[in-house]
Amino acid sequence: MKSLQLTHQRACAVGNNTWLLAIHPDIGSIMATDGGSSSLGLPCVFSPKSRQYLALCAQDGRLRIWNTDIKTLNQEYVPSAHLSATCTCISWGPCRKAKEGPQRKKRKSEAGQVENQVDLLALGTAAGSVIIYSTVKGALHCTLDGGHSGRVNCVQWHPEDCLLYSGSDDTHIVEWDLQTGKARCKWKADRASVTSLCVSPDGKLLLSAGHTIKMWDLETKEVYRKFTGHSTAVTTLRFATMRPPDSNGLYFLSGAAHDRLLSVWQVREDGKDKNSVVSFNLTDEPQHIDIFTSNSKEEAVRLAVVCKDGQLHLFEHFLNGPCKKPLSPSCTVQMAGVEDSPVPVPLLAAALTTDTHSLLLAYGNHLQPVMERVEVNTAERHVCLTRDVHATLSLTMETTVSKVKTPVVNAKSKVLVPGLPGHQATVKGALGSEKRKGTDAKEMSIEERLGKIEMSAEKGVKGTPSLQTDNFAVLLVQGLESKDANILNKVFQTRKDILIKKTVARLPLPAVLPLVEEITKRMQGHPYTAVLMVRWLKAVFMLHTSYLASLPDLVLQLGVLYHMIESRVKMFHKLTKLHGKLYLLMTQVATSDSGNKVKDVDHTAKLVYEEESSDDDDASGDEGLPDEDSDVGGSADTGAVGGMEYRLIVKLFIK
Amino acid sequence: MVEHAEIRMVRRGGSKINFREPVITNDSRFLLCAAGESVNVYSTSTEEFVHDLQGHTDLVTGVVLNPSNHLQVYSCSADGTVRLWDFMDGILIKTFIIGYPIYSIYVSEKHGGVVFVVVPMANYKSSELFQLVAVHLPRSGDQEVEARELSAVLCDVSPHPGAVSFGREGEYIAATKGLQLEVFFFKKQKSYRFSLKSGMKKGVKNAFTCVSCHPKEDCIATGHADGKIRLWRNFNQKKEYTYTTLHWHHGAVNTLCFTPEGTNLLSGGIESVLVHWHYTQENQKDFLPRLGAAITHIAVSPDGSLFCTSHSDNKITIIQSCVKVSAIIQGLVKGDGVWTDLIIDPRSKALVLNGKPGHLQFYSLHRDKQLYNLDIVQQEYINEEGLDQFEVVKAAFDARGDWLATVEERRKKGAELEINLKLWAYDKLTQSFVLNTTVTAPHEDRITGMFFSPSPETTMLVTTSLDDHFKAWLLADHSDTKEGFWSCDFVGGYHLLKPGCCSYSADGSLLAVGFQEVVTVWSPASWELLTTLSQPPGAIRDLCFGRLSCSKYLLGTSTKNQLCCWNLLTCSLEWSTPMDVSLLQADPLSENMAAFCSQSGSSDLFVFKPSEPRPLYSQKALCTGKVQHAVFAPRDQMLESCEERTQWLNRSQLYFITQDMDLLTFSTKTEEDRLLASSKQLMVDDSVAVTPFYLLLGKHRRQQLEKQEALTNPMAERTQLPQGSIAIKELLHTPAHVLPSASFLCAMFVRSLLVSRSSAREEKAEEEMESEKEEEDSEGEADPRLGESAAWAPSEEFGAPALTKAQERELRKVKTFDHSWLSSLLDS
Repeated sequence: MKSLQLTHQRACAVGNNTWLLAIHPDIGSIMATDGGSSSLGLPCVFSPKSRQYLALCAQDGRLRIWNTDIKTLNQEYVPSAHLSATCTCISWGPCRKAKEGPQRKKRKSEAGQVENQVDLLALGTAAGSVIIYSTVKGALHCTLDGGHSGRVNCVQWHPEDCLLYSGSDDTHIVEWDLQTGKARCKWKADRASVTSLCVSPDGKLLLSAGHTIKMWDLETKEVYRKFTGHSTAVTTLRFATMRPPDSNGLYFLSGAAHDRLLSVWQVREDGKDKNSVVSFNLTDEPQHIDIFTSNSKEEAVRLAVVCKDGQLHLFEHFLNGPCKKPLSPSCTVQMAGVEDSPVPVPLLAAALTTDTHSLLLAYGNHLQPVMERVEVNTAERHVCLTRDVHATLSLTMETTVSKVKTPVVNAKSKVLVPGLPGHQATVKGALGSEKRKGTDAKEMSIEERLGKIEMSAEKGVKGTPSLQTDNFAVLLVQGLESKDANILNKVFQTRKDILIKKTVARLPLPAVLPLVEEITKRMQGHPYTAVLMVRWLKAVFMLHTSYLASLPDLVLQLGVLYHMIESRVKMFHKLTKLHGKLYLLMTQVATSDSGNKVKDVDHTAKLVYEEESSDDDDASGDEGLPDEDSDVGGSADTGAVGGMEYRLIVKLFIK
Repeated sequence: MVEHAEIRMVRRGGSKINFREPVITNDSRFLLCAAGESVNVYSTSTEEFVHDLQGHTDLVTGVVLNPSNHLQVYSCSADGTVRLWDFMDGILIKTFIIGYPIYSIYVSEKHGGVVFVVVPMANYKSSELFQLVAVHLPRSGDQEVEARELSAVLCDVSPHPGAVSFGREGEYIAATKGLQLEVFFFKKQKSYRFSLKSGMKKGVKNAFTCVSCHPKEDCIATGHADGKIRLWRNFNQKKEYTYTTLHWHHGAVNTLCFTPEGTNLLSGGIESVLVHWHYTQENQKDFLPRLGAAITHIAVSPDGSLFCTSHSDNKITIIQSCVKVSAIIQGLVKGDGVWTDLIIDPRSKALVLNGKPGHLQFYSLHRDKQLYNLDIVQQEYINEEGLDQFEVVKAAFDARGDWLATVEERRKKGAELEINLKLWAYDKLTQSFVLNTTVTAPHEDRITGMFFSPSPETTMLVTTSLDDHFKAWLLADHSDTKEGFWSCDFVGGYHLLKPGCCSYSADGSLLAVGFQEVVTVWSPASWELLTTLSQPPGAIRDLCFGRLSCSKYLLGTSTKNQLCCWNLLTCSLEWSTPMDVSLLQADPLSENMAAFCSQSGSSDLFVFKPSEPRPLYSQKALCTGKVQHAVFAPRDQMLESCEERTQWLNRSQLYFITQDMDLLTFSTKTEEDRLLASSKQLMVDDSVAVTPFYLLLGKHRRQQLEKQEALTNPMAERTQLPQGSIAIKELLHTPAHVLPSASFLCAMFVRSLLVSRSSAREEKAEEEMESEKEEEDSEGEADPRLGESAAWAPSEEFGAPALTKAQERELRKVKTFDHSWLSSLLDS
C-alpha cells in the first residue's frame, strides 16, 4: 500500500515538473510566437443568458472567473491537485432561481426581481473526477468521484433536471444525480474515448462523440441515431435548432480537431441522415462556439466561432435541408495590437447578443483576458479591431478591489481658461451673415498669402543691404518672418515707450498683422510678458489704426484679444477694493506703530500678500518691478487701466 | 394600488446596507446585514449576494446571532416583531410579537431565552424616550408567538444601537446617553451612573457616542463626540471608578468594538481610518487608512479572523485580521443628493448618477448591482466635516456614448464659484475614458443644464447658466492634428434673462431654451433665433420635445402650475392644463412622456402622449415628497404586452429617485412571468462538501476501503470490529465486585497469550482491520460507535459474571492492541 502511494506521489511530482516545463515557454512567448493560441485548448466559457461571467481555466491550472461588466477578476479558485488533475472542461449550470418564497401580496416598494444569478460551475478534471464549484459562495460545492477511470473530456448539464453528464477517456458516459451526488447511470458509449457531449434543449436527447457521433435517448439510454463523418476527434457538438426531432427539423453541428470545417447534421425522420447537410468554412480548428439556436424555419441560426488562430467568424444561415457548397463566414473579426508592427491579438471567446451588431469578446491572454462589448459592422466581410491590451489591463487592475475606475488624464488634453481662444465664441464680424467655417478661413489664407508675398518681395528688395541689425524695426520684421523666438524676445524685452513707438512707426504695413498676431499669442502667456506686450499693443493701435480698420477680418483677429483682456480685467474692481482696504490697514498699522515708537513692521508680509493677489488674475505683473510697495500697486493700476483702455479701443473697432 | 394590479412599483438598487451593524457568522463564510425590510446574506469571500431573509413588514433595525445556536439569527424590526431565522437555508423559524416598534436588539450567552430590545417608553409613545427591556421568549411550537413577558431593565436609553453593550459574560450591561454612562449589574440588580462634566466650553463635545465592553475583563470603552475614547475600570461602585483616555480621532468616534479575545480595540469615525488599539499597550496602535468614507459600524467575526466596517457611502468592507481589505460589498451609493440627473450610458446601458464624492457611479440596472465609480474630480477627498470640496453637478453622454461631459463645482459661501467643465472621450484602444478638454470657468455662474445634441452628424454640447447666457460647444475638426479639442461656438442670450432649461428636438435641428417666462427656439445650424413662445404665468421649469410622430410638439412646465404644449408648426399653444409638474421626462423610444406632479406632499405620475388628451397611465400617490429625477431606460428585449395600461412599459422602463434616495421602477406582470419562467430551481446537494483534510487523506482511505471490500467479507468483520472497544469500556465500567476474580482474569490473559498457531494468522488480519477502524474513528465518525454501545448496554445485565466465549475473544483482542493499558490495570 505504502509503496503504491509513494509511486503515486512521485508520478505526481514528475507530472508537476513536466507540466511546469511545458508551461513555462508557453507563458513567456504567448503573445509573440503562436499568437497565444496554445495547443492545450484551454476551457473558456461564458455564463449562460446574461453573459455576466467568463470562466477560464488558464495554463497554471487555476480557475478564474471574470466579470464581463466591469472587466475585472471576480474570483480565483485553485482546485486541489490543480497541477496533476488539471481542469479539462467547464460547464455553467442553469441559472439559479431566486428562492420561491410564499406568494406575497404586492406591496409597495418591494424589492424588484432581478435577472437570475448563475451559480454552479461543473469542472471535469484529467484525473476523472468532476468538481462542482459555487461562484456565489466562492467555494467548492461538491466533488463527484468514482465515475470515471480516465480523463473527463466533457461535462454537460441537463437543462431542466438536476442531472449532469460527463464523458471520459474511459469510453463511458456517466449520468450524475446532483441531489444525491452519486452516479445514477453509467454506460459504455463507444469503443474510443468520449470527447464531446451535448444535451438537447428539451432535455430528451444526448449527443456523444467518440469514434462516431451517437444520439442517445436519455430515457432509455439507447442509441437513437448514429452519424459518421469526422476522421479526427470531435471537439464540439451543439444543437442548432430547438425543434422536435419528428419533423425533420432537428439540426446539430459538430467540429473536430485539425478540421477546418464545421458540419451540420440533420436528424431526419426517415433515417437517411448519413452525411452532413451543410458545412461552414473556417480558417482553423474551432475553439469556442457560441450559437443562437433558431426556433422556427423563419429564424436564422447565428453562429460565432473563434478559431485556434485567434480569428472570429460569424455565420448566419437558414437551416433548411442540404447545401452543397461549404458556407463561408458572413463576417470575420480579427484583432491587432498597437505596436509598431501590429501583432495579432488572439480572440479567446466570443458571445452573441440579442442585438445582431454587438458582440461580447474576450481576447488577449488566457491568464488575463480582456473583455469587451463591441459594435461590429456585420455588413463588412472583414473587420479588424485595434486594441491596446497592455494599457487596458493596467487600467482594469486597479478597479479589482477598490471598484473605482480612474479615467485617463494625460498631458494631451487641452485646458481652456477664460481669455484663451475657444473659451468664448469667436466674435462675428459686421458682415456676420456669412456661413461659418466657409469662406472665412479661405479668405484669411489668401490674405495671409498676399501679405507673405509682399513681405517676401520687400525682403528681396531689402535683402542685401539690410545688415544694420541694430535697427529694432528691421529686427522685428525679421523675427516675425522667421518666427525666431530669440530675436522677438530681444525686441519685446524693451520697455522704453519712445523706442517702442518708433519701432512700430517704422514697421512696414504688411508686418503689422503678424505683429498683432504675435502680440496676441504672447498676451495669452504669463502676465509678466503680457505687461510688456501691452505697451506694444498700445503703440500699434496708436499708429496703425487706419490700416487695421481697413482690414476685413479685423474682428476675428481682435476678438480673441478682446475676450482675453476682458476676462483679465474682470477681477480689477475687486482687486482695487482689496488694494484700498490693504492700503488703509497698512497706513493704520504704520501710524499706530510710529505712535508706539516700535519699529518692527513686518514689511515682507504685505509684499507677499500683494504678490499673490495680483499674480493670480491680472494682466499687470509685479515680479518684474522690484520697486517699492506703493509703486507696485500703482503699476498694477496703470496696467489694468491700460487694459481697460485697450478694451475700449478694441470695442470701438468691433462696433 | 389595487386598481392597477398589473403594474407594480418595485424597489431597485437595494436598500441601505450600512443602516445597522453587520454580523459575520461563526464560520466567517457569510455576512448578514439589515437592508430595508429584509436581512441580506452575503458571501464574505466573493462579495456575492447569496439570498435574503424576507418577512418583516417594516425597517429591520437589528440582527444578532442566536447565542445558543450559531446557525440561527434574530432580527428585530420597527414592525414590532423579533424573528428567528435559519440563515443558511433562509427559513423563518419563529416570529415573536412584541407589540412595540423595536430600535435595537442585544443578546448575551448568559441570558438564554431572553433578548433585550430597545422600545419606546409605553407612556410616551410619541416622545423621544426609550427603554431597554428584557423579553422572555416563550417556548412554544407555534410559528407565531406573542411575547408579552417584558421587564424593563433600563429606562431612558438612547435608541442608537451602539449605545448599549453587554459586559463580560453578560454580568452587566452598559448604556450611554448624552453625558451619562449607566452600568446595570444583573446579579445585584443595581445600576450605577457615571456622568461626565459638561464643564468644557462646548459641553456637547464631551457626549458619549458609543460604548463597547471588554469580553474578558471588567472594562468599558466609550467613544465621545470630541474624538476621545475612555476606558472605564473599577466601575462596580459609585466612588472609586477610574478611566484612562485615548485620543487619536479628530472627529467623533462613531463606533467601537473589542475583538473576541479582548486583545484589541477597534474604533472608527469620519476620518475613514480604522484604528486598531492594543488593549494592554494603549499607546500602540495600527491604522488602516483610506477606507473611502466615514466608518459607521465595525463588526468582528466570532473567531476574530475577519473585521468588517460599514461606511456612510452604503458600503461594507471586509478586512482580514491581518489588516488587509479583502472584499467590498457596495450598494447603490446614496450620498447627500443627486445633482446630476439620472443618465443612461449608451455604451454599457448602465445608470449613471452621483456616487462617491467627486465620482460618478455606474449602476447596472439589469443585474441590479453597482459596477464601478468613475473618478471625475481626481482630487484626494478629505474626510472632514464642513469642508467644501469639488462635486460633480452635471453629467451628460452623447448619443453614441463616445463623449462624456461633466461639470464639477465648488460652492463656498461668500467666495467665488469654481466651475470646471470636462469633456471625456471614450478611447476604444484602452477601453477607458480619456480627458480631452478642460474648460475652467465656462460660465460665470452656476450651470443649470447641459445636453449633447442628439444628431449623429455634429458633436455639440449646450450649457445653460444663471449668468444669462447659454453656450454651445463644438468639437473642432483639426485635420492636421490627430484629434480635435472642444471650443465655444456660440454664446446666446435673450434680453438678459436667466436660462433655466433647454431641450434638443429628437433630430437635433432645433434647440429650445427657456428664459424665465419665455421659450426661445433656436436653430443650432445657424444660431438664428427662430421664434419665441411665451405663456404668461410662471417661469419655465422644464422643456421637452415630443418624439417620433409627436415631434411637432414642444412641452413645457412652469412654476405657476401649468403644463403647456405648443405646436411648432403653427407656433401656437395647442393645449395647457393646470398641473404642478415637478419633472417632465420623454421616452426616447416612443412618443410617451412621463410627468411627475407633486400634490399635497406626495407625487403623482401621468404618462401621456402629447397628441392625445387622455393619459395612458396615471398613478396617484406614488411616493411621498417630490420626484426630482427620473429616466427612461431602454429594455434589452421588448416586452410583448398588449394590455393598454402596460404598453408604455414595453420598450423602456421608467426609473425614478424619491426624496429619500430610493431608486424605484415599475414592473409589469408579463415581465415577472417571464422572469419566473426562465428560472428553474436547481437543487444540488452540497452535503458532500469536503474539507482539505478529507482531500488529503480521503483518497488514500477510500482506496484502502475499496481494496478491503474487495478482499474480505465486509459484513462479518464490520460487526465485530467495534466490539473490541466496547469490551474495554465494559470491563472498565463494570463495578469491580461483579467482575470475576483477578486470578481468573489473569489466568485467562496468560492463556490468551499462548495463542495457538492456527489462530495467529486470523488475528493478524484482525489487527490490520482494527487499526483501520481506529483511523476512521479518529476522523470523527462517532455515530456508529455510539449506536453500537447503546446496543450493547442490555447485554451487560446478564453477561457479566459468567465469561462467555465472546468475552474471551474480546479480552484477547484487548491484549492485541492495548498492552499498556492492560499492564497498568494489572499493576494496580
